[in-house]
Amino acid sequence: MKKIILSILVLALVGAAGTYYYAFVYSKNRKFDMVNAEAMTIEANALVKAFQENETEANKTYLDKVLLISGSVSATDQTQTGDRTLTLSSDDPFAGVMVTLDSTEAAAINMNDKVTVKGFCKGFLSDVVITGAIIVK
Amino acid sequence: MTKITLIATFVLTAFSSNAQKVYATKTGQVFFNATGGLEKIAAVNNQTDSKFVGENGQVIFAVLVKGFKFENQLMEDHFNENYMESTKIPKADFKGFITNIKEVNLAKDGTYPVNLDGNLTVHGVTNKVSTTGTMKVAGGVPEMEGAFKIKLKDYNVTGLYIGEKIAPEVTITVKCKYQ
Repeated sequence: MKKIILSILVLALVGAAGTYYYAFVYSKNRKFDMVNAEAMTIEANALVKAFQENETEANKTYLDKVLLISGSVSATDQTQTGDRTLTLSSDDPFAGVMVTLDSTEAAAINMNDKVTVKGFCKGFLSDVVITGAIIVK
Repeated sequence: MTKITLIATFVLTAFSSNAQKVYATKTGQVFFNATGGLEKIAAVNNQTDSKFVGENGQVIFAVLVKGFKFENQLMEDHFNENYMESTKIPKADFKGFITNIKEVNLAKDGTYPVNLDGNLTVHGVTNKVSTTGTMKVAGGVPEMEGAFKIKLKDYNVTGLYIGEKIAPEVTITVKCKYQ
């Protein structure tokens, strides 16, 4: 009987420790592997057009997905925390794809460069917003 | 006389265009803190879209809910899936006015107190919000900062841990540097 109670206690302790590790240690330190993540490929102009024509449908297709987006750099800037941003132009001069680069991304980017970026699609405000991105080429 | 008319026209045009200027940013910050227990429950959105009109103080802040970044990925997943339902309701915004914009001199460096009144839409529910903040002007660049509290139940945000690990009242802080 004692053995059974002891076994249950040990199992409960291991379970609690595992849950704690997963929730508060592993989840805090794990970094998404953007380099090897599967991605949907799309041109910047087509992505903007998809959101402008039917935002609900575009959200169903692209929201929170990893996208591989090609386009021409029309602006470079940085966030208030210093992460670099770049905007990929579309046919609409008032809307583009605003990409926030991952803080580890060091590749040099200049205006009018043709680039391919890979990052998370977070939805559409004035521009389609992409975060955590890396430069693929 | 023609010279005076010309100068007056120029001055009026310059004043008018400055006053009607729309200040904008796509990289403003919105923080929220919902810490209710020992574990920190806080996130930041660094892609906040905001604009305000210099003349009448009309202002908008808009965020994509999935753009909130947590230190803990699991917490971020729960926030999006179980509380904010951000796949179904991807945006939140505040639309209103800086009611004392006339007391802010956007052409002169300084820190000005501002009052904001408007409608806050979170989780698809809109409520009136009034708050105060500051507008700091440095070298012609305005930066607005303010904080306010909202009750999650006012926005139909429900969930298992609200009132325990998650505070029932959340502090939202906004910090936007305009161009």
